[in-house]
Amino acid sequence: MSQAKKKTFKIEPFKHKVEMDPKYAEKTWKILEDAIHEIYNHNASGLSFEELYRNAYNMVLHKYGEKLYSGLVNTMTQHMREIARNVEAAQGGLFLEELDSKWCEHNKSLQMIRDILMYMDRTYVNNFNKTPVHELGLNLWRDNIVRSPKIRDRLLDTLLDLVHRERTGEVINRGLMRNITKMLVDLGQTVYQEDFERPFLDASSEFYRLESQQFIETSDCADYLRKAEKRLNEEIDRVTHYLDPKSEAKITSVVEREVIGNRMKLLVEMDNSGLVSMLIDDKYDDLGRMYNLFRRVSTGLQTIREVMTGHLRDTGRQLVLDPERLKDPVEFVQRLLDEKDKYDKIIQLSFSNDKTFQNALNSSFEFFINLNARSPEFISLFVDDKLRKGLKGVSEEDVESVLDKVMMLFRYLQEKDVFEKYYKQHLAKRLLSGRTVSDDAERSLIVKLKTECGYQFTSKLEGMFTDMKTSRDTMQGFNATLAGSESNEGPTLAVQVLTTGSWPTQSGARCIMPREIFEMCNKFKQYYLSTHTGRRLTWQTNMGTADLKATFGNGNKHELNVSTYQMCILCLFNIADHLTYREIEQATDIPAPDLKRSLQSLACVKGKNVLRKEPMSKDISEDDVFLFNDKFSSKFYKVKISTVVAQKESEPEKQETRQKVEEDRKPQIEAAIVRIMKARRLLDHNNIISEVTKQLQARFLPNPAVIKKRIESLIEREFLERDRGDRKLYRYLA
Amino acid sequence: MCEFSRQEFIEGLQMLGVDSIDKLKYLLPSLRAELKDEHKFRDIYNFAFGWAKEKGQKSLALDTALGMWRLLFKERPWPLVELWCQFLQAKHNKAISKDTWSQLFEFSRIIDPSVSNYDSEGAWPYLIDEFVEYLRENQSLEACTSGA
Repeated sequence: MSQAKKKTFKIEPFKHKVEMDPKYAEKTWKILEDAIHEIYNHNASGLSFEELYRNAYNMVLHKYGEKLYSGLVNTMTQHMREIARNVEAAQGGLFLEELDSKWCEHNKSLQMIRDILMYMDRTYVNNFNKTPVHELGLNLWRDNIVRSPKIRDRLLDTLLDLVHRERTGEVINRGLMRNITKMLVDLGQTVYQEDFERPFLDASSEFYRLESQQFIETSDCADYLRKAEKRLNEEIDRVTHYLDPKSEAKITSVVEREVIGNRMKLLVEMDNSGLVSMLIDDKYDDLGRMYNLFRRVSTGLQTIREVMTGHLRDTGRQLVLDPERLKDPVEFVQRLLDEKDKYDKIIQLSFSNDKTFQNALNSSFEFFINLNARSPEFISLFVDDKLRKGLKGVSEEDVESVLDKVMMLFRYLQEKDVFEKYYKQHLAKRLLSGRTVSDDAERSLIVKLKTECGYQFTSKLEGMFTDMKTSRDTMQGFNATLAGSESNEGPTLAVQVLTTGSWPTQSGARCIMPREIFEMCNKFKQYYLSTHTGRRLTWQTNMGTADLKATFGNGNKHELNVSTYQMCILCLFNIADHLTYREIEQATDIPAPDLKRSLQSLACVKGKNVLRKEPMSKDISEDDVFLFNDKFSSKFYKVKISTVVAQKESEPEKQETRQKVEEDRKPQIEAAIVRIMKARRLLDHNNIISEVTKQLQARFLPNPAVIKKRIESLIEREFLERDRGDRKLYRYLA
Repeated sequence: MCEFSRQEFIEGLQMLGVDSIDKLKYLLPSLRAELKDEHKFRDIYNFAFGWAKEKGQKSLALDTALGMWRLLFKERPWPLVELWCQFLQAKHNKAISKDTWSQLFEFSRIIDPSVSNYDSEGAWPYLIDEFVEYLRENQSLEACTSGA
């Protein structure tokens, strides 16, 4: 056996063309055509896929693709037409079912046909830019069935009718609906949109327009909102179940427009059930529903906000200007806080803490709080009440929260400098009478004010606290010197030394003190001035208190807590049993209004009448006679009679305070003008006014007329001059 | 008040070229005519303030001011001058500041007698604002009484 070389051999294709003759092509086509028929007639089981594929392949290979394709078109069209007839013939409810089932079959058939003709799809169709088989099948279905004149309208009407029935409460076949709409989507988005979606939206719009009209006339606001919400959810549900997802946004906007958008104003303004009554009655659920529905519509939330603001401003204005309320400042402020709490809660629970609503709330409060010029005074009185007794026994966190609420009201005030003035007065009284419930609470509030307004605002207040502490130290030193000396007998003196600038200025106080007191006071003065040379001490007799031990005729002993003035008056009765008003006035030299007030507290108040007055009238007249009340009795050992408690100012006092505030503002305005002009050198009138206002707005709102007067004063003192050319310009003179 | 120093007197007349009473008499009409010129008038008007006030004072006493105004506005008539004087005597009764004095001239020049073109944001001195208010109150009063 020879070792022959292994040769690779190849099989060569035929070199000569094998032509398919037309007859052969015709035969092949016939086979395929029959197959298509069989497929459409559900007789596909007997067919050989391989054979049919091969036939189609051959046809295309031998350049009979055209024949194949056009044959396909014709055959399928024929079948479509037949199907159309069947569908048209279907009665009533069976129409859709027939359509659906035929569509299902068609898809299966189309699949098979496409598989068989895949080679054609890939070659002939591509080369000659023909519609691929699958798409062709869909288009033929579309043109011959769905858009056939006898089917098209009927299909749409049926679908819309079913939707309508479902909306009115009937149960419909959702699966069937889904199939049909899916069919439309498969046929192309334009088919779905033109043949179904657009008319659907129009019909829905009309439906909801009518329905909402009816609802509005028969339901109250809360009811309507519930129905609206229900309808909205239904539509979303409908889309999920049997419409194309892209329809969701469109149908919801139809519902939003018809049911909410076009009815908003009517809803919100409904008497007895609209937005205002919901706010008044704290209907959190209904308000929340309204918020969620309205936010879907542009200007929806704006509508709610505007009505809420209007209502709030009205209630606020009434609250603040109601003369009844103004009688009790603490109640007044409490009512404001309650109102704020109420709306905070509403915004939190129903309006999902929406910032724009918070802002509307804040601006409304700012608006009406400043309608009453006494608001700053009242807020200070409220704080005074809390710090004197209201916060007794309250936990630290609760104290903080009350103070924070007060700060919140404070921020709304336009005239913060007025508040400062009153706060100082009230704080002084609290400190001096030792009547503050918690030192920590006082300091905490000062810190909050400092954070809000800066160091300047609170520096004097802090000075007051410092004085109190320093005085305690001074007293220790003084008492130590007393202990050493002989005269340990005599009244015990407790002195607070106040720095003039920090404490509220009082008009000159004077009175003639009892001898023992006077001597003790001098001792203190000596002691103090020995360690602090160059200072001047003035006794503020209108701000002091005294504890007196008194023995009455019936043997009762009591300790009386009185003001300094009252002490002076009472000590007179150590020598005399009865005294006339004039005698008392002369002996004590107390100013008349204070004297009358003190006497009133001593003689005319039940349970505190350590003096008797003849005649027994309520008011003090200059001809009255006062007697020591031997028969005085009280169930308490210690009796408080002093009149040094902070209270709402009388009309003349209020005027005086206001005047002081105006006086204080003048230098502040001038300082602002000078600051601005120094920086700008040359500035026109209107700009000065607006710059000054801006600089001072943290403290108060300056009056343009007052600013103008200050400018003139500065011109007079040659800080500024008018420009020669333009009289409206001012120039800074260095 | 109302003093010329000797030096001012001599230098002033020298500049005018006057060294006798007759020459001064001769010059007076033309001097008076100068007052018709707005700028010259303003200069003289503003000068008058410093000249008429007491030495060492910043403001001009009211009576003197009223007299000066009446005098000056004779040369250059201003319909509201009497009302202005009335107003001051009734409502103000204090001395007049320099700024008020000078601004009054501008007021007479710019604002028409019915104060229809008065601009309340026009940086006018406060006293002039009050004057305008005074005028308007009286105008409306007149209108009421004349209507009745």
